[in-house]
Amino acid sequence: MSDERSPILQGTLDLMVLTTLEQLGPLHGYGIARRIEQVAQDAVIVNQGTIYLCLVRLVQKKWISAKWGTSENNRRAKFYAITSAGRAQLRAETENWARISGVIGRVLQPGGGLPTGAPAKAGS
Amino acid sequence: MRALFHTLVSRLRGFVRRAAADDEFDQELSAHLTMAEEDKVRRGMSPSEARREARLELGGVTQLREAARATRGLPWIDSFWLDAKLGGRMLRKSWGLTLVGGLAMAITIGLGASIFTIWDAVSGTRLPLDEGDRVVAIQTLNRGTQQVNSLTPLADFRRWRETLTSVAQVSAMRPRNLTVVTRDGALEPVRAAEITASAFQLARVQPLMGRPLIDSDEREGAEPVAVIGHRLWEEAFASDPSVIGQRLQVGDTPHVVVGVMPRGFRFPVNQRLWMPLRTDRVSEAGPDSDVFVFARLAAGASQERAQVEVATIGLLPRNQARETAQAEPRVVPYAAGFLPVVHGNRWLTGVIFLVGALLLVPPCANVAILVYARTVTRREEFAARTALGASRARIVMQVFVELLVLAAGAGILGFFIARQYSGQLIGMVVPMMGPGSVPFWMDFTPSLPTVLWVAAFSVLAAAIAGGIPTLHATKMWRRLGPSALGNRGSARLGKTWMTLLATQVAVSLAILPSATEMIWGALRPMFVGQALPLDEFLSGVLVLDGEDRSRFDGLRREVVRQLASGPGISGVAVSASVLMEEPEVDIEVEGLGPSDPEAKFNTVDDAFFKVLGFRFLAGRSFEPGDFAPGRRPVIVNRSFVAEIVGGPPSQGFGGAGGNALGRRVRYLETTDTRGASPPPPGWHEIVGVVEDLPGDNDGPVIFHPMTTAVHPASLIVRRGSTGLGPAVDRLRAVVAGLDSRLKVERLRSFEDIYEENQSDDKTFATALGVIVLIVLLFSMAGMYTLMTFIVSQRWREIGVRTALGAQPRRLLAGIFGRAAVPLLIGALVGCAAGIRLESWLPIAAAGGRIIPGIVPVSAALMILIGLLAVAGPARRAIRIDPTEALRVN
Repeated sequence: MSDERSPILQGTLDLMVLTTLEQLGPLHGYGIARRIEQVAQDAVIVNQGTIYLCLVRLVQKKWISAKWGTSENNRRAKFYAITSAGRAQLRAETENWARISGVIGRVLQPGGGLPTGAPAKAGS
Repeated sequence: MRALFHTLVSRLRGFVRRAAADDEFDQELSAHLTMAEEDKVRRGMSPSEARREARLELGGVTQLREAARATRGLPWIDSFWLDAKLGGRMLRKSWGLTLVGGLAMAITIGLGASIFTIWDAVSGTRLPLDEGDRVVAIQTLNRGTQQVNSLTPLADFRRWRETLTSVAQVSAMRPRNLTVVTRDGALEPVRAAEITASAFQLARVQPLMGRPLIDSDEREGAEPVAVIGHRLWEEAFASDPSVIGQRLQVGDTPHVVVGVMPRGFRFPVNQRLWMPLRTDRVSEAGPDSDVFVFARLAAGASQERAQVEVATIGLLPRNQARETAQAEPRVVPYAAGFLPVVHGNRWLTGVIFLVGALLLVPPCANVAILVYARTVTRREEFAARTALGASRARIVMQVFVELLVLAAGAGILGFFIARQYSGQLIGMVVPMMGPGSVPFWMDFTPSLPTVLWVAAFSVLAAAIAGGIPTLHATKMWRRLGPSALGNRGSARLGKTWMTLLATQVAVSLAILPSATEMIWGALRPMFVGQALPLDEFLSGVLVLDGEDRSRFDGLRREVVRQLASGPGISGVAVSASVLMEEPEVDIEVEGLGPSDPEAKFNTVDDAFFKVLGFRFLAGRSFEPGDFAPGRRPVIVNRSFVAEIVGGPPSQGFGGAGGNALGRRVRYLETTDTRGASPPPPGWHEIVGVVEDLPGDNDGPVIFHPMTTAVHPASLIVRRGSTGLGPAVDRLRAVVAGLDSRLKVERLRSFEDIYEENQSDDKTFATALGVIVLIVLLFSMAGMYTLMTFIVSQRWREIGVRTALGAQPRRLLAGIFGRAAVPLLIGALVGCAAGIRLESWLPIAAAGGRIIPGIVPVSAALMILIGLLAVAGPARRAIRIDPTEALRVN
């Protein structure tokens, strides 16, 4: 069986979690995991357990806050909400992501974004 | 940055409330699984399939919990704690290393910490007085030479006292070492101060009884009064509550006691007796009458302001002999005024730290060798850990933490050593600051900086002893690859260990003879020599004030005559130098070549040997004819013959090698004899040999007959049956009755002189003894570890030979034979080094004593110790069960 899904890029999980919480408001861990899976549409491999490690990290940095509450199915669950520091971080990270992906996109275009006639480097 | 700070705080919180956080995380994962299951069931999965699927999607719960714990808490502390526990276990297992290595580290760290504590105390300026930080000293700095003079002429002090406004209670003091006569007639040396009354207001300490000194005490014609310290009150007056108004004999003058200061008051430095300072006799004051000036900053004034004012007023022009052109007064913190060399001297601070670090190197290097051997024997353990994914850094860290546990234990012990012995150490290093004479503001209790010092040097010790050898061993394995972890690399290592073993023996043997001779030199006077009833003798120095000393010789003879004929005294003798404190100079003995030995010399009168009861070992005492000018006979002591001439002193006449009698000696230097009279010139013939006296420190001594007048003269008085007190009274009465300019100074009992000479030697010998013992213990432990290692390498071979029926005797011979080679090589090299060191070090001059044949005896001892160290592993080797041995590797 061939699996075309890619592993998630290093550091991007934080960005995904922050975006999810910014868009959907307070959510529990399972909700965040489901949402990321839906958005990714099976294009990337998201290990649900690593989301919890990511949540621990983000809480430590005070980019999100955590509070025990009750889920829609009347289950006790921990709800996470983005903080103002988290929003600022998200804005910075989004801009950074847009800049980097733009650069990578240009590099990957036919011609590699290199000026025509540039000398080829040894070994390249 | 803020996120980093929050993470750190959160991790600390997570580390502290680990259990609660774990519990919360488990609940969260459990809620996740339940929600996922329900979701999947709603989407049509069977409950069991839903549960399985949910668990698969989440991942391993245990791993997640571990990972969360590592993210939340402080994982390196956990791992450090694990390593420390393992280290504790390993140290218990190799208890020899723990004991010897730990003790050596403890002593070195303790010694380093003591030095640091002393430095910290000596360089500190905090004064334990009310507003002590506002007390300052005024001293003189020579801008040209950058030399600081703590003493100031009286005239300048008087001018400052009258004019300065930025400082108040400007006071002066002059330290004096005096002798007081206690109530039971005993003589008590006491540190006293002539001090202005204002100093007591400055110190803000009220007397326990009576009053402090007051201004009227300083006036011309005032009755001599004294304020005494608490200890002097206890010792001289047996804590008599009615002491005020009683008389205390201080030196030659009786003083009325007007006050007793509370316990611990030793102002201005370490004094226990205070007398008024006469500041009005400026005209007759010479350089000897200069005073130490101190004051309290006036309300609202700063040290800088006081400095400006003092500099503006300056110093008075003085006579040309005392250069003042470049001298300027300066205001410094009080304590800094007493030890200008120490304060703010960064170079000295650097040296102290360097000494502390260097002290650690020898014991740590030795422990490192042991650790290296042990690391190699633990290669299977490290191989297994490497296979399980441990990095080289992790393994080095593990051994480092093991040694850190040891070094921490050593550090704690070292701290207590420093706490216990700093005071004694300073007494040894600077005798004038011995117990009771340390300045009152210096506190030798180890403080927080000492704790930090101990901690830093414990880590350093662990790094030297644990980190370096493990780095070396693991580097070698890395280079050699997996084969190094098996047995194939051991043959190569064998040579290294043999070399180490030989070096170990050689180094120990090189040090042992010289150290033993030093210890014996210091301890010998306690066991050998003529017993002298020290408590029966009194020593004093007879001086005549003023320039005209033509009458001194006659007065001296009269003192001796009157004392000898009166009651309370059974004998009187005179010498040029105080006994046991004679000057030492280079000499030449005729016919002995140019070795320039050193000897002490003294000039004595005709009663000297009789009064002291010297035992003659050979030859004769001085005869009346010897005291005629121009005669040059001398008498030497046992040590002179033993150390310089050679041979037994009893065979002074023509004995094999002895032959001291009839030989001639002369002095190679005739100046610089610590202020004593220079030694007589020309050749002197030895006519007698006497026994050593206790306190001679076994040094060679030459006695000359007193043929010319000497000044000052040392009086030796042997008391009668009535005790020292009446003898002292009589001596004073006789001296006072002959001439008002005649004085007896430095009046002490022989016991005091002997104690002063001996206590430093004893401490020195003990310290050296401990170090030698540690060296020996190290050698034994090193040899034991190395032998265990060598035998363990031959485990399989010994097993095979036992299985094939080899005799235990032959096996033992093989093991001992193999150990004997490095032992013998080490012993040979060590003997050569020991002999070289013994001849190179100035052992005799430093108070040691040459012991003939010490080197071969030490070598035999070292080989014996080496073979004993082999005995244990060898015994274990022949008891190896062949099947067990064959299973190994």
